[in-house]
Amino acid sequence: MSESSQGKDTSGVTLGRFFAQAREGALTGIRCVGCGALAVPPKELCPECGARRWEPVPLSGEGTIASYTVIRVAPRGHAGDAPYAIAAVRLREGVSLLGRVVDVPLEALAVGLPVRFRPIVVKDRPAIAFGPA
Amino acid sequence: MRRVAVIGVGVTQFGRHERTSAELFAEAAADALADAEMPAARVQALYYGNVVGGETEKQLHTGPQAASVLGIPTVPTTRFETACASSHAAFRHAVMEIASGASDVVLVGGAERVLNVPTADSTEYFAYASDASWEQTLGLTFPGVFALVARAHMHKYGTTEEQMAAVAVKNHKHGVLNPKAQFRKEITLDTVLKSPMVADPLKLYDCCPFTDGGAALVLVSEEVARRSRRPIWVLASAAASDWMLIGDKRDLSRVPATERAAAAAYRQAGIGPHDVDVVELHDCFTIAEIVATEGLGLFEPGAGGLAAEKGWTSLGGQIPVNPSGGLKAKGHPIGATGAAQICEVVTQLRGEAGPRQVEGARRGLTHTLGGNTATVLVSLFGRE
Ligand SMILES: [Zn+2]
Repeated sequence: MSESSQGKDTSGVTLGRFFAQAREGALTGIRCVGCGALAVPPKELCPECGARRWEPVPLSGEGTIASYTVIRVAPRGHAGDAPYAIAAVRLREGVSLLGRVVDVPLEALAVGLPVRFRPIVVKDRPAIAFGPA
Repeated sequence: MRRVAVIGVGVTQFGRHERTSAELFAEAAADALADAEMPAARVQALYYGNVVGGETEKQLHTGPQAASVLGIPTVPTTRFETACASSHAAFRHAVMEIASGASDVVLVGGAERVLNVPTADSTEYFAYASDASWEQTLGLTFPGVFALVARAHMHKYGTTEEQMAAVAVKNHKHGVLNPKAQFRKEITLDTVLKSPMVADPLKLYDCCPFTDGGAALVLVSEEVARRSRRPIWVLASAAASDWMLIGDKRDLSRVPATERAAAAAYRQAGIGPHDVDVVELHDCFTIAEIVATEGLGLFEPGAGGLAAEKGWTSLGGQIPVNPSGGLKAKGHPIGATGAAQICEVVTQLRGEAGPRQVEGARRGLTHTLGGNTATVLVSLFGRE
């Protein structure tokens, strides 16, 4: 049996399922069965080794801010929320996620600040956020 | 592969227009054909860049529409969309069509219309170039993407807000010399530093404007170019991509796609960054110019801010960057930008740039970045 025919949908972590779980407070990454590379869904092929077999792996949600900004001029759909903070957060496991930062004073934002995942809903859609660690 | 040359260029006034993007393109294209002394009937294909036509003009299928308005309805036409790099991507594919021998005369261009909608809407449409599930949901904006780059660069290298402001001051100074520029007004460091915050640490004057405009150029095979008055040769045209998600980018202080596209272009042309005399690069935000000058190898990583501050990238400096005024002052009609940058470098290499001429420029580089840094094109041009 070829790699491709065994490999379909091995992790079960579709984009829709990832955000459904995130809404419940759980972050689920995917790990390549071939080489162990960790990624966030959705990915069909491993960018490191090309394999097509993934397994779900729970992520701690703990990390530090790698970079951040405060959006003051917002898109039409988010105008009521401004100003709001967005950060790239490097999780303890090594993958990074972009998210809103909530419950942290804007002037306390800093590269290296420890934060922890928390789910939010923006305009009826589940999204990633981080609060104080 | 056959050699390829640019023999005609055309750019509309940049700023606010009451005409459709197809009309803006058609004006630029007719100017480019006239400049090339090329009858429209000899054009064999149109490669066209347009990004948010579906949103701002409720217009898809903009390629054949543009060709029809120009008056060449029957040529094969394709619209490219790689966010802000669209017409540079169109250019690269047109180069390959001619280099391969498939065609001898190809029209390349792009146009955009955005000032007909409110800023909150255009901000939203531009954000469509980031990931819908992961990023748009958060309210991430285009300035927000480069604010993340800026903060990472400041943290890693100590780049300052004053150094970023120096890029805006320099490009506005250049823009004064460009009659097609949207803004022809000098500004001071204070203007930038005291302008309202858009996405910390980027302020209003760190950001390029929304712009309506069109640009076009006539690309031909060597055989056709030999019969034209002043061909400018395409020495290389390279593209690179990178991870779409901000979270998947390993080091936000860099734009790896710029580094890869530049390396490929220098290799194709057999030259290096120090052989380049004039550069038009993608300064959608001041930090973007700083990071691009590093990624293109003009300065060491971390030295881009200093280069701007010291005037090394000004007209008269060691390597003039964005003599046109750049996206910052000339304006950024996204679908037209890549083509407009090429038009400027061609004009510079012809020695026809008037008061903004880089004296004796023999080789030029254009760099166009798409949206969230996931697309970059770099092309090199020469007089010989
Ligand atoms: Zn793998």
